[in-house]
Amino acid sequence: MNLVGSALAVAAGSAGGAALAAVVLPTRLRVVAVGALNALMGAAGALAGGAALAGESFAAHLPVLLPLAGVYVGVDALSGLFMAVAGAVVLAAGVYQIGYARHAGGGRGAQALWPLFAFSLLLVPAAASVSTLLVAWELMAASSLLLVVSGHRGGGDSVRSAGVWYAVMTHLGLVAILTGLVWLAAAAHSETFAGITASAPGLSPLVRGGVFVLVLIGFGSKAGVVPLHAWLPRAHPEAPSHVSALMSAAMVNLGVYGLVRVGLDLLGGGARWWWLTVLILGALMAVYGILQAAVTSDLKRLLAYSTVENLGLVLLGVGAAGAFHDSGHDELAALALAAALLHTVTHAAFKTLLFLSAGSVLHATGTRDLDELGGLRTRMPVTSGLFALGALGAAALPGGAGFPSEWLLLQSLIHGLAVPGITVVVVLPIAVGAVALSAGLAVATFVKAVGTGFLAKPRTQAAEQAHEAPVSMLVGMGMAALVCAGLALLPGAAGAALRRVVAGSLPGSGAAVTGGVAGRLSALGSTLSPLWVVAGTLALVLVLRGLLRMVARAPSRAAVLWDCGAPPPTARMQYTATSFAEPLQRVFDEVLAPESDLDVTPHAESAYLVERVAYSRAVPDRIEHRLYNPVIHTVRRAGMTARALANGSVHRYLGYGFTAVVLLLVVLAAAQ
Amino acid sequence: MSAADTVNLSSVLLSGGQVALVLAGAPLLVGLMRQVRARLDGREGAGIWQPWRDLRKLLRKTRIAPEGTGPAFRVAPLLAVACTAMAAAVVPLISTRTGLGPGADLIAVVALLTLAAAALALAGLDTGTAFGGMGASREMTITALAEPTILMAVFALGTRVGSTNLPQIVTAGVQHGGRLASPASLLAAFALGVVVLAETGRLPVDNPATHLELTMVHEAMVLEYAGPDLALVELGAAMRLTVLLGLWASLFAPWGIATATGPAALALGLGVLVGKLALLAVLLAAGEVFMAKLRLFRVPELLAGSFLLSVLAVTASFFLT
Amino acid sequence: MNGDAELLDLAAGAFLLAAVGVLWRRDLTAQTSLLAVQGFALAAIAVILGADQAHPELYAVAAGVGLLRGAVLPALMRRAVAARATDRETRPLMNVGASLLSAAVLVLLAYAVSQPLVRLLGTASARALPMGLAVALIGLLILVTRRKALSQITGFLLLDNGITAIAFLAAAGVPLLVELGVSFDLLLAVLVLRVLTTRMRALFGDTDLDDLRELHD
Repeated sequence: MNLVGSALAVAAGSAGGAALAAVVLPTRLRVVAVGALNALMGAAGALAGGAALAGESFAAHLPVLLPLAGVYVGVDALSGLFMAVAGAVVLAAGVYQIGYARHAGGGRGAQALWPLFAFSLLLVPAAASVSTLLVAWELMAASSLLLVVSGHRGGGDSVRSAGVWYAVMTHLGLVAILTGLVWLAAAAHSETFAGITASAPGLSPLVRGGVFVLVLIGFGSKAGVVPLHAWLPRAHPEAPSHVSALMSAAMVNLGVYGLVRVGLDLLGGGARWWWLTVLILGALMAVYGILQAAVTSDLKRLLAYSTVENLGLVLLGVGAAGAFHDSGHDELAALALAAALLHTVTHAAFKTLLFLSAGSVLHATGTRDLDELGGLRTRMPVTSGLFALGALGAAALPGGAGFPSEWLLLQSLIHGLAVPGITVVVVLPIAVGAVALSAGLAVATFVKAVGTGFLAKPRTQAAEQAHEAPVSMLVGMGMAALVCAGLALLPGAAGAALRRVVAGSLPGSGAAVTGGVAGRLSALGSTLSPLWVVAGTLALVLVLRGLLRMVARAPSRAAVLWDCGAPPPTARMQYTATSFAEPLQRVFDEVLAPESDLDVTPHAESAYLVERVAYSRAVPDRIEHRLYNPVIHTVRRAGMTARALANGSVHRYLGYGFTAVVLLLVVLAAAQ
Repeated sequence: MSAADTVNLSSVLLSGGQVALVLAGAPLLVGLMRQVRARLDGREGAGIWQPWRDLRKLLRKTRIAPEGTGPAFRVAPLLAVACTAMAAAVVPLISTRTGLGPGADLIAVVALLTLAAAALALAGLDTGTAFGGMGASREMTITALAEPTILMAVFALGTRVGSTNLPQIVTAGVQHGGRLASPASLLAAFALGVVVLAETGRLPVDNPATHLELTMVHEAMVLEYAGPDLALVELGAAMRLTVLLGLWASLFAPWGIATATGPAALALGLGVLVGKLALLAVLLAAGEVFMAKLRLFRVPELLAGSFLLSVLAVTASFFLT
Repeated sequence: MNGDAELLDLAAGAFLLAAVGVLWRRDLTAQTSLLAVQGFALAAIAVILGADQAHPELYAVAAGVGLLRGAVLPALMRRAVAARATDRETRPLMNVGASLLSAAVLVLLAYAVSQPLVRLLGTASARALPMGLAVALIGLLILVTRRKALSQITGFLLLDNGITAIAFLAAAGVPLLVELGVSFDLLLAVLVLRVLTTRMRALFGDTDLDDLRELHD
């Protein structure tokens, strides 16, 4: 057993230990012990992933664990990448949990489930056969569902509805994946990934295409592909924050993993339309996700929609990689895939940080509505600073984690115009436009989040009485922040690992391809040199500050704000998150279709004097309304009709069963 | 990657020189524009040195810390000027051999300028007044909508050279001057021109001379600044204008930019740069006399139009070569 | 030859840009001026083709096209605009930003579908052909999304200009007689619409086409 295997074993052990500790230990000890064991599991998972990225591989067959097929475990560089990401997120969230569990998600059940969920995130990429993958996937889905529902105490309706949406969507996704993979396994006469890879090229295009579409639906729904994203902005905000971090930074990635594993690795690439579909869906997700994020004022919902956006960018890269591969431009394909995978990593880093910080805010104020926050920078300075760092990453500005990966993605798209073929030439400009628009809107979105949530004056009592988070939470956030800073400044360091992943997952990529990727990735270090840009800017700030001190020697003095001559401005007069987003909402009026309601109550004496003005605005998810509501409505009506079948009589129910059995036997007899 | 790509002393000095030039010249550029405008309006004008006199006056004043503002408010002007100066260091204005030569990426320059805008927007929100928030919200909306045009134009320009590295694009422009008259290049020039106007807050997107709350974008955002901080904000805005005009000139009229490091070439590059910037400033100021500010909600139409032009530039660069 | 090809690109580019400008501006007067520019660009295309392929009769066609589409039709339009109180397309069915984005997609589409033809012909003039198609599509877009009767005429003229440009570029010029016949039809159509709008204004006070729906009831 090598390093990967032993680390995985340690992770499994600590996951079991944590779950057990959660059930048996007394409350006081429990939180710390579970947190420590979770952190250990995360560290072991990250180590296993890191070792796999460094070139080690691992395979095992455990026949006793699962009846019939047994469990196949296999870790290559691609699995290693996703495992390392999941492990690192688990580590940060595990430490964070020690402080956070006192606030939410600290019940025995929730604490016991969390390690299982976290471990399933490590297990999915390690699965090396269809049945193992499905079992791990279902473990992940079920445990996360229960964790979402565990929610906050007294969460009420929104938690319940989020749970229902999540349960339905995730299981429909599972059905699609199950059908697709079982079909694939049956057609390939093998259940293990190795066997499928060997016989996949011989399959008919119909089977391959069908499997890909099913898998795209299944994994896509997990990754938040529009229009299958409806569960994401509901479930992620409602879950306790250390669960949201795991879901948003690690679980959604596995949708991408599944797509890359099945589409590129197992099926060995495919027709061009597969990947152009993925690319266009990615572009759609990116724009739609960030647009919704830009107009929402719920901090965690904003982050969840930003997840949709970022996964959209990742899928855009994956789609471009597939399309380039199909047209024989392996070097470009490798570049696009590397960009997509790097963005997966950077997104995981800053999204963990952002969700954990949002959790701290929720912990301190009890609200996640940006319109009710404000002024947190003096009350919780560390959290504010860390959130700002994460926001810098999410806005893809220099110094932020997202910048190098978006840069690389744009590079691959710009060079892609060299690929002949009309579809590519028409699709790529649209893709670049989508990336650019989402980047621009992301800046506006995160300026809004930081500016109205953390700066300015507190808008409510709750925000005024906010307090800094406990040390364990800050440590967890600090770990994520360190990774963010590292990725932002030295993205070139990830070059070797990414090269190995890309070489392993792009079918038929030889030494030439990896050489090209190596050149481009090292260029990421030298050509872009984010370290130099950031260092130069900071140096200039210091120099300017010094100069200013020398020139402007007069002492500083406090002054009141400009109030237009009226009484001093109050906190209620500030721009809120809603008002900040209003111009954008108006510009994209036809896409978002906001519902606003203005109610003016005139004074009793005169119709011209206004007594009260009530304004309310909601921006419902339009796709959800247009697409899902009719379906839900139909299902509900069918359910109502079917109600007549069940009138409460036990005899009647038994009769149904009896009739069904008899009918089945008749059919069997007839078939013979 | 172009040959050598070494960061040596002379190129770092050159970058420093560009920063100093932009720092010193930006207020003069603004002064020139105001002077041209005044003359066309039939006024005497205050002379092109007036912005520098204003800056000197502001720098001598007391620093004011408005109540309830925090570090974000105080650091933002510094960061804005620093980001713009950094952009000035990497854009090939005088010579293509600037300090961060290999790092002089067009996308990075755009991102640096966006960071400067975002810093000031955060400062505007930090004041907690309606003005600050209003300006920040409008400025960010315009920035967000301008981004697609910029990147699409970058796409059109970068495709031809196979890189988004600025020195490479500019060098290619110097060597193949004929390409600059191609439809792709003209369309991209027009599209980027509109975006430069939007990003620097000029007419018809924003009026830098107005102080009416309903029409302001940038000025509303920085309303609370006074004294030395205001001087920095003004300097930053002037530098932003200079850098963006210089970038536009380098991309679409690169003649005269030094590709060697000899002193004669550099002197020529410097002279040509000053001439080009002055010409652009005069044209811009003269054009503004005949223009009215657009309603804020007409600005997206303008930007959508420039986006369409940049899409046309991409298609033209691909199909018409 | 190469210089001619570049000139042709520029003329075709101006031709397309004028169409984009019509879509962009709400001001009907400005739209009319842009139509005139487009008419001259079309004439320029004909001249360049004539010089390139040594077809002197194309000069005559160019003169006719320039006169009719660059001068006569815009002048008629201008008079119609001047006679009206409102000279703006205030409430298009699709807002201007969205229609500009749609135009971007339409241009890409035009390029994509005309590629086989371009490759088949392989001439310099054929490469500019997608621009003609794009203008025709933009004209259709205006017909579909604008309300004012005058905007409808503008869209119609764009459509026709686009078709004429395609004919020039693909077949190296329409026979003189056909072109004259088409142009004459066009003139007639504009005159009829002009009379119609005058009557409409006299009857309803406006030329918003959606008001016509009421006639149906």
